Amino acid sequence: MIAQLRSELFKLRTTRATVTVLLWMLGLILLVVLLHVFALNANDLRKASNQPKVYGWGTSIGALFAALLGAISVTGEIRTGMIRPTLLATPNRALVIAAKVCAAAQAGVLVGLVAEALVSGIASAGLGARGIHITLTAGDFVQMLAGGAAAAALWAVIGTGVGAIVKNQVGAVVGLCVWLLLIESILIGDAPSAAKFTPGASAGALAGMIQNASAGGLLAPALGALLLIGYAAIATTAGLIAAERRDIN
Amino acid sequence: MHENDARSTLDLNVSEGNLSAGEPAVSVRELTKRYGEVVAVDALTFSLRPGTITGFLGPNGAGKTTTLRLLLGLARPTAGEALVFGRLYRELVRPAHRVGAVLESNDFDPGRSGRNHLRALGLATSIPYARVDDLLELVELGAAANRPVGTYSLGMRQRLGLATALLGDPELLVLDEPANGLDAAGVHWLRGFLHQFAAENRTVLISSHILAEVAQTVDQVLIIANGRKLATVQMNELAGGAGSLEALYLELTAKAAA
Repeated sequence: MIAQLRSELFKLRTTRATVTVLLWMLGLILLVVLLHVFALNANDLRKASNQPKVYGWGTSIGALFAALLGAISVTGEIRTGMIRPTLLATPNRALVIAAKVCAAAQAGVLVGLVAEALVSGIASAGLGARGIHITLTAGDFVQMLAGGAAAAALWAVIGTGVGAIVKNQVGAVVGLCVWLLLIESILIGDAPSAAKFTPGASAGALAGMIQNASAGGLLAPALGALLLIGYAAIATTAGLIAAERRDIN
Repeated sequence: MHENDARSTLDLNVSEGNLSAGEPAVSVRELTKRYGEVVAVDALTFSLRPGTITGFLGPNGAGKTTTLRLLLGLARPTAGEALVFGRLYRELVRPAHRVGAVLESNDFDPGRSGRNHLRALGLATSIPYARVDDLLELVELGAAANRPVGTYSLGMRQRLGLATALLGDPELLVLDEPANGLDAAGVHWLRGFLHQFAAENRTVLISSHILAEVAQTVDQVLIIANGRKLATVQMNELAGGAGSLEALYLELTAKAAA
């Protein structure tokens, strides 16, 4: 398992997909945070209840791109054919998926930290430039960074499982984007009592905030963590079963 | 090229013990694979002795690639079994040290360099980076080793594939169309390499469409069509060499198609 994990971490470091995913993340963060900080009404932004909804984009974007890295670590190999030499070196597919899950989780911690730090930095600088007082406490920022990193790690695991189940790269990427950015944000607006329990809102509970929702609309952090671990376990198990059963062409 | 380097880390596989003289490197028994109504491989039976080079021949869609996938554990048979060294591929301990295989000439991440491709796969089976550098020299990719594989020619990809298969210094090589895209010097080198490989009591199975090339390289041919075995022919029993192999192949496959 150690050898396979080394191999998977090395692959993440030596593929262009990683750089591409991180550049897209940077672009999306700039776009979304600048839009929110500069296009929204100053009086709305002054409200303590609204600021976490802006800062919370770090949680959604970190989780999304960590998941994409995880998914592409599987679908990218299927797309290029690299999966064949990978499975010839390690015919135990469960071992390959387990190594990919661990590698993605490690990468996810970094992605989550970077996303939260970038969103916090840009949002704080933007609010400061407009002379708007920041209502978040130091504790909020600590939870955002630590919880956001943990949530992104678990979402990277979910993404890896989704990649193994879906196999198709476009399908996995579009599916994850639509789920996290579209469906979850519709649910949080329209059915907040049920939306609390979704994988995205659970990430928000860990970090204390997520796009368009602050702690008031979310579960307690520990409960969110447990739920998200559960989702990650389900995705991993389903991914393992899918990988074991399928023929590779 | 430096043919002696291929054996530089042979002692990697002593832990698995030596082959007993009688044990076949490959044994396929009643192997069958169905995809819905389509029978890709139909009760195929053959075995390969150590030290032989076997050409695996058949028309497009004959089931050659499917057979190799079943042998290497990438797909599961519907019935029958395909064993390497008496075991299922997935049950081998450190399989890369016993079997090296290339199924497609393009199984690379195009953005990764040739060197990093070999390192990534070597890490999974604890092969030192020094072995990667030796193999890059062996297949004459040293100068291109740091370039993305996406910039490689087909011949270079074939050689990188061969280096991938040789990472664990295996006892059995399974190659799908290995000469495709190689220039004349490359084909000549590959033939010499495979002969030396087999001379060390190691085994080679190559599928190919180029009959003339196969005739010069292999000890025996296994001809299949529609997933069924048509014939196994020892090359030294064919009086006319390449010409008579072609005649035999065309006759057998035409009969099977009729």
